[in-house]
Amino acid sequence: MNETKAKVPKQLLSRSLIRFLLLLWTVLVLYPVLWTFLTSLKDNVQVMQGKPWDLPTVLRFENYGNVWSRAHFGDYFLNSIIVTAGSIALCLLLGATTAYVLARYNFKGRGVLYFVYVASMMIPTTLGLIPLFFLLSDLHLSNSLFGLILVYSVGTIGILPFAIFFLVGFYKSLPKELEEAATIDGSTYYGIFFRIMLPLSKPGLITVGIMNTLTVWNEYIMATVLINDPEKYTVPVGIAIMQAEMQYRTEWGPLFAGLAISMIPVIIIYMIYQRQITGGLTVGALKG
Amino acid sequence: MISKLKTSHIWSRRLFIISFLLPTLALFALFTVYPLIQGLYLSFFDWSGGSETMNFIGLDNYRELLADDIIPIALKNDYFLVFWKVILIMLFAVFFAVALTRLKLKEYGFYRIVFFFPNIISVVVIGVMWSFIYNPTLGFLNKFLSLFTSSPVDTNWLGSPKLAIWSLLPPSVWAGIGFYMLLIIASILAIPSTLYEAASIDGASQWRQFTTITMPLVWEQFKTSVIHIVITTLNGSFIIVKLMTEGGPDNQTQVLGYYLYQMGFKQFHLSYGATIGVLILIVSLITTLILHRVLSRETIEM
Repeated sequence: MNETKAKVPKQLLSRSLIRFLLLLWTVLVLYPVLWTFLTSLKDNVQVMQGKPWDLPTVLRFENYGNVWSRAHFGDYFLNSIIVTAGSIALCLLLGATTAYVLARYNFKGRGVLYFVYVASMMIPTTLGLIPLFFLLSDLHLSNSLFGLILVYSVGTIGILPFAIFFLVGFYKSLPKELEEAATIDGSTYYGIFFRIMLPLSKPGLITVGIMNTLTVWNEYIMATVLINDPEKYTVPVGIAIMQAEMQYRTEWGPLFAGLAISMIPVIIIYMIYQRQITGGLTVGALKG
Repeated sequence: MISKLKTSHIWSRRLFIISFLLPTLALFALFTVYPLIQGLYLSFFDWSGGSETMNFIGLDNYRELLADDIIPIALKNDYFLVFWKVILIMLFAVFFAVALTRLKLKEYGFYRIVFFFPNIISVVVIGVMWSFIYNPTLGFLNKFLSLFTSSPVDTNWLGSPKLAIWSLLPPSVWAGIGFYMLLIIASILAIPSTLYEAASIDGASQWRQFTTITMPLVWEQFKTSVIHIVITTLNGSFIIVKLMTEGGPDNQTQVLGYYLYQMGFKQFHLSYGATIGVLILIVSLITTLILHRVLSRETIEM
């Protein structure tokens, strides 16, 4: 009797303690982001003299206009959209066709091919960074958004192997009868894929597309190595350049507005597709 | 007639398979496989970018590597980051995963979404944000610490040889936990609840259930996660280094990846850069193999 009585408050205590720790981490995760948005609205005087946690005294929305036009973030934003859309489209087309054949057809070398794609995800690709730079310049594709699209969609950042890995699992899960029925109906191989299998795999394509969108939108190292022409900077490169220039001229508000501009699309995508993002990740990882 | 039809059928099937595999494979070979092989190849040459000046020098780059004083510092820092990131990320990730699944909180969905959030932010944003948190005069951290001290704190977190490498840990851990937490959560949810029910009936405490049921059954995922942290850290931690310290002060935060970047794209010592790349590959493979061995337990099949 006494024992159980003592146990309940102890359990309650540990539950409260855990709840407290969870809340603390929530604050530690969300506050820096919130603080970035707040700082993006401050003027320089307040950043230099005020407390970092003060709310903005005057709301300087012009920081956004400033960074958007004068610091060319509008152009960077457009470049990032072009590169992201192009990379995802190409990666999905190349990934879905290969994944479909790997999942549904038996042929010599199938296992090896699948292994090569998946194993490439586990290899540190920094080794390829220098050769890749010279490959692109040999192909006259350095300083070009198209070159960056190619590197993202089939190159070393690994979104293609992820797409193949994820979609092979997806195509394997679709029932075999679909193809058999279509074959009897006289559909060609291409017809079966484009008219039946591809539409059916839309949920898988969306998951892969969203996750790869985040990767490409946020990518920095390839973009900074391969693009030196300021007109073709993507948003992450623009931010890094702006931060480096902070040593000479200090414009904290616009810098933080730049950070905010980079985060806003990601936050919107996350709010809409968080189920696909968190779900897709775990399904992909658990199968491996 | 029939056999002709059959061979044409076989050929159209074959053609279909090839047409679906070849474009992807060709582009993948050119943009992923070729650079890796070329990197290996370059490490045996002396090359600084021109077309006529590529000389075969055998293992000279590797000899230079062994004699280079910066390499041991970079290796030490890489392993410093690997070690602490594995410990801290897995500690938090497992704790949060267990807390969120086993306590059956109402707010489970909310925490899951929030805790994963840092993983979707660009490393550039994280680097700039944390650089400003650490800023000696304007930064959040010093101003916050000053609230509790009589004289204002003016620690130069990223500029001090002793503190700089430690200061790179919080942003890396902050940005890493959510992903691994989700992986652990998924594998905890795959454990049949009957196991926990039986243990509760037997009077096993939460801690005992954790050590005897949860940990053994998520061990495979735990191992995969640790290895994943190791590979991504050795391969990618140099981005945060580039953004926050550029390897400084005086190479005290130098890591192999950033040293490669400096050699290749700042000093145009390209073949030496490629050799550092080979070292990164070798170090990752060896570390992964050792961890596979060390962390192997008998897997429990259900």
